[in-house]
Order: sequence, then C-alpha cells, then structure tokens
Amino acid sequence: MSSAWQYYVATLIVYSFVYIIAAAGLNLQFGVAGVYNFAYIVFQAAGAYFTAVFSLGRPTSSGLQTYILGLHLPFPLPLLGSAVIAGLLGVGIGAVTIRRLRADYLAIAMLVISLIATNVVTDTTSLFNGATGISLVPQPFTSLTSSATGYDWIYAAYAGFVCALVLLALRVIIRSPLGRSLRAVRENEHAAAALGKNVAGLRLFVFGVGGAIAGVSGSILVSFTQAWAPSSWLYGETFVLFTALIVGGVGSNLGPILGALLVPVVLAEGSRYLPQFGSPTLVPSLEWIAIGVILIAFLWFRPHGVVPEPKRRFPQQGQRPAVTVPELSGLLDGSVVREEAR
Amino acid sequence: MQTLALYAGFGLVTASILCIGAIGFTMQFGISNLFNLAFGATMTAAAYMTYLCNAAGLDIWVALLLGSVGGAVLSYIVNRGLYSPFRRRTPSLFAMIMVTLGVGLIIQYGIEAIWGATDLSYTMSTGRSLHLAGMVLTTVQAIVIAIAVGAAVTVHSLLRYTRVGKAMRAVAVNERLARNCGIPVRLVVDGAWLLSGALAGVAGVVLVMDVQVLNSNSGSDFFILIVAAAVLGGIGSPYGAMLGSLVIGLVAEVSAGFLNPEFKDVTSFVILVVVLLLRPTGVIGSVASAKEVAR
Repeated sequence: MSSAWQYYVATLIVYSFVYIIAAAGLNLQFGVAGVYNFAYIVFQAAGAYFTAVFSLGRPTSSGLQTYILGLHLPFPLPLLGSAVIAGLLGVGIGAVTIRRLRADYLAIAMLVISLIATNVVTDTTSLFNGATGISLVPQPFTSLTSSATGYDWIYAAYAGFVCALVLLALRVIIRSPLGRSLRAVRENEHAAAALGKNVAGLRLFVFGVGGAIAGVSGSILVSFTQAWAPSSWLYGETFVLFTALIVGGVGSNLGPILGALLVPVVLAEGSRYLPQFGSPTLVPSLEWIAIGVILIAFLWFRPHGVVPEPKRRFPQQGQRPAVTVPELSGLLDGSVVREEAR
Repeated sequence: MQTLALYAGFGLVTASILCIGAIGFTMQFGISNLFNLAFGATMTAAAYMTYLCNAAGLDIWVALLLGSVGGAVLSYIVNRGLYSPFRRRTPSLFAMIMVTLGVGLIIQYGIEAIWGATDLSYTMSTGRSLHLAGMVLTTVQAIVIAIAVGAAVTVHSLLRYTRVGKAMRAVAVNERLARNCGIPVRLVVDGAWLLSGALAGVAGVVLVMDVQVLNSNSGSDFFILIVAAAVLGGIGSPYGAMLGSLVIGLVAEVSAGFLNPEFKDVTSFVILVVVLLLRPTGVIGSVASAKEVAR
C-alpha cells in the first residue's frame, strides 16, 4: 500500500474505534438504563479538552492560544485524568435526571445544557481558546517510531486496545446483577424502586460511567487529530450517535459496534467517494438528510435495530421448561413489558 | 436609564417575534402532546419561501403572507404524513422526539443543499426610525410588534369566543373526552396545525426582517428561545407563551446590553433549565399538568 492509503486506512480505523467507544457508552446510558442524555457529546468534548490541557504544558505568553491549567503530564495520565473529570461532570449533570421529568422534557433539558456548554466554551476564550479551539495537542508515544505512517498504525492499535478494554468492562457491567438492576429501572422504575433498587443512584452511576467512557473517546480522538474546537461537538453529533444506536440495536452488545460502523463511519466515509458536485456544502447536507431519513425509517420499520437486544433466558429448577422473559426494550415501542412465566 | 429604555425597545421586538413563534409551538404541544423540534426549521423554510416570492418581485408584505401559507402547508403535511401515523404506531415519547429532530434536520439541510451556506436578505426598506419613550425602533420593527399584538389578540378571540377555539381547548386538555363528546378531533387537530404552522411562518419571516440575515440556521438558532418562552409560560398554554415571550425577550436583550452580549442566549437557556427543573409546568401550568410533564 502506498503511504497515503496507509494513512487513510489507519485514520479510518482510529475513527471507527472512537465511534464504537462513544456509542457503547451511550448504549449503557440509553440502551441499558434508559436515560435520555442529549448532552452526551459534551462529555466527549470534556475528555478531549482536558486531555489537551493536561498534556500541552503552560500556555506561553507569545503563544497563539489561551487555556486553563496547562499541565504537562506523562502519557496515561491525561487519558485517565480526563476520563475521571468527564465522569464527575456526568454525575453533576446527571443530577438533573433526579427530578422525574417526562421523557421529551428531559431530552429538551439535556439538549439545552449541551447548547449552553457550546455557547460558554465558544465565548470564553480563557477557558479552551474559544471558537478557534485548541490545537497542537502533543501525541503520546511519538518516541516509538520516527515514520509518520508507522505512528498511525501504532495509534490505531492503541485505540483498538482501549476500545477492547471499554467493551469488556461494559460487558461485565451489563451481565452483572448491576446490569440487571439497570434494565429493571429502564423497564419500570416504580417496580424497581419497590424492590429496593436505588433508582436515582443507579442513574447517577450510568451518568458517571457513560460520561467517563465518552471522555475516553474524546481523549483518543484529540490525541490523534491534535485539535479540538466547538465545531467538533455540536449537538447534532449526539443525534448521530443516537441514530447509530437505533440502527445497530438499542441495548444489545453488538448493536453499538454495528451502528457506529454503519452510520457515522460508512456514511461519512462513503460520501468521500462521491464525485464533487454542486456547492461545497451540498454533500455534507445530503449526509445529514440521509441520517434523518435513516433514523425515521428505522423507527418506523425496525425500531429494535439490526441486532435487537436478545431475550434473556433463565434455567428453571424442576422439570418445567425454561422460562423466557421477554425483555425487548420498551424504550422505543413504549410498551410496558410484563414478566410472564409460562 | 436611557440605555435601559433602548434595550427594552430591542427586547420588545425580540419578544414580539418570540410571541408569534411561541404561540404556534405551544399550540402544537397542546393539541398533539408533542414537542415539535422541527418548528425552527419550519420557520426557516417559510422565510425562504418568502425570499423566493420577494426575489420574484413581490412586495415583502405580500411575500410574508405567502410565506405564512407555506409554513401552514408544510406543518400540516408533516403532521398528517408523519407525526400522526407515528403516534398511532408507537406511544414512545422518545421515538417521537427523535422523529421531530430528524424532520428538522431534513428540512434544514434540504434548504442548505439547495441554497448553500451563503447569507441572503430581503429586498425591503426598514423605514425611518421612530423615537418613543427612549426607545429607538425602525418602522419595520414597530410593524413587527403590531403583528405580534394582532396575532395574540386573534388567537385569544379564536380560543375564547368561537366554537372551533373551544374545541381546540377541549382537545388540548383531554383528547379522548373531547372525542366522546362528539368533537371532530381530526379536523380540529388539522386546523390547529395549519394555524400553528402559519404562525411559525410569520415568526420566521419577521425574524429575518428584524435581523436582516437569512441562512439555513436562522430559524433553528432562534428556536430554543421560543422553547424557553413557551416552557416558562407553561407549555400548552397560549397565554403562558405570550407571558413567557415578554420575559425571555426582555431578559435576553437587556442582559445582552448590560452584561456580555455574547451571553445573550445563555441567560435565557439557564432560565429554561431552571424552570424545567424547579417548575416544569411553567407559570400557567394547566395544560402541562394535564399532560403530566413531571411526575
């Protein structure tokens, strides 16, 4: 492969892993626990910004950018630190959900929080360099190789490693009794509360963990692209991730992976091969239109996605046949699922 | 004091545009129990239809009428063709909000695909400036205020003194009961969407007349202020929308004048979040309570 092609493929792989991590974190919040976090992209942004200010070092007086903190920490610390900060931010903003609003009201509240965050970061230059954004973010392990192409492949491997860790951790959470409690809260919060589940605490937990995962995705992205600005995290990006989940399959393990590959990666990258026609904004506009159409079509024809959440089976003692608990998420068809032991 | 009056004048203009839009938005929620996040994009679409008519040589005020008709037709089609079938198929509020967001994106980027990202403006004169109690307004801005007052009075008379208006209020509070009382709910809903779509159209056009710039984001950028006004006043209540618009419009412009102008929208957004958390039914909460916006 020529080096241009290698660069392209490696970049594509890094982006895919970033989207998979982000979609998996949103799946924990929305698919498993049923919280509508329309401010999800803010946590990715927090991860990216804090990774930047944790690794850039002090802003020089002659430098072109201003930002807070300006630490110069060695490699794993910016990633871990920004994940922790995004997680704490998640718990803070998640407190909004304790007030039990109707689903669409909560969605609006989160959407507006996302807009406020964009406005504040754009207009406060001292925070993260305002609308221009932060650039020249140093990359980790540049000392390993001197060739640019080699570095991209190393980075792709690193992104894949982190992605695997995140998916593994989520798999453990989702299969554990904790995951079962989260699904119970999703299906019927009153019943879950009646059984002694701490509904508010569980919601704050997914806000924290989901936020940290979003932060990790932002951290990996910013260390690769080396730049981050308010235009990288408009609220439309959250909508893209939700669409990815709905296409892939809400609540299933494979769903977010498939959705992340199908919606943001294939659609965005596929349009790159379209011949340039019309105005320069035409192709990006058509991409957005396509995302809207795909979302509406899936909600109508296949609301549970390509890979629906599996029905869970529990072995029964005695001679009776295994009990099937229909656990198709009521999030999208609005049905209240009743447990029927046949 | 003088500057306060000046900014209050701008605030009145913003409040007027908000008022026209917020009445339409809140009616859609009341009648169909749905947050139509495509409302901002509908405003933009109507503003572009007006632009087309205006560019074809029509007077701007005639073009405004045609734009509002366009907004009404577009809203009617979207509700009849998409929202209503979806609501019959799925009771999920989350699915509905995603659908309205999707429709908004399709309209907004459809416009951008056709016209690109360039800024346009109407061919019109803003008229001479009027000085009134310390406020300085252009003639067009004064007319915008008059249109808003006219819209508010019209909606008030419609809802209060006509059978159609009574039917609309009945459907908003309890659709099933209204149906059982023999009200033709489908017709009433269609009428409400036509009316609210027309209001969206007028709001979009007067917004562009006021700021004098039209692009594919015009309506959706302004839309969150409309949501703030409608929620503050009490979602579903037209009178609440009028009250909320006045508060949000004045707060936005006065805070822009005295604080940092860049935080103009942020103050209103913060008001919106605080209202959502502390009093989600808003000031006049009868419809919102009936629809159980918070448990």
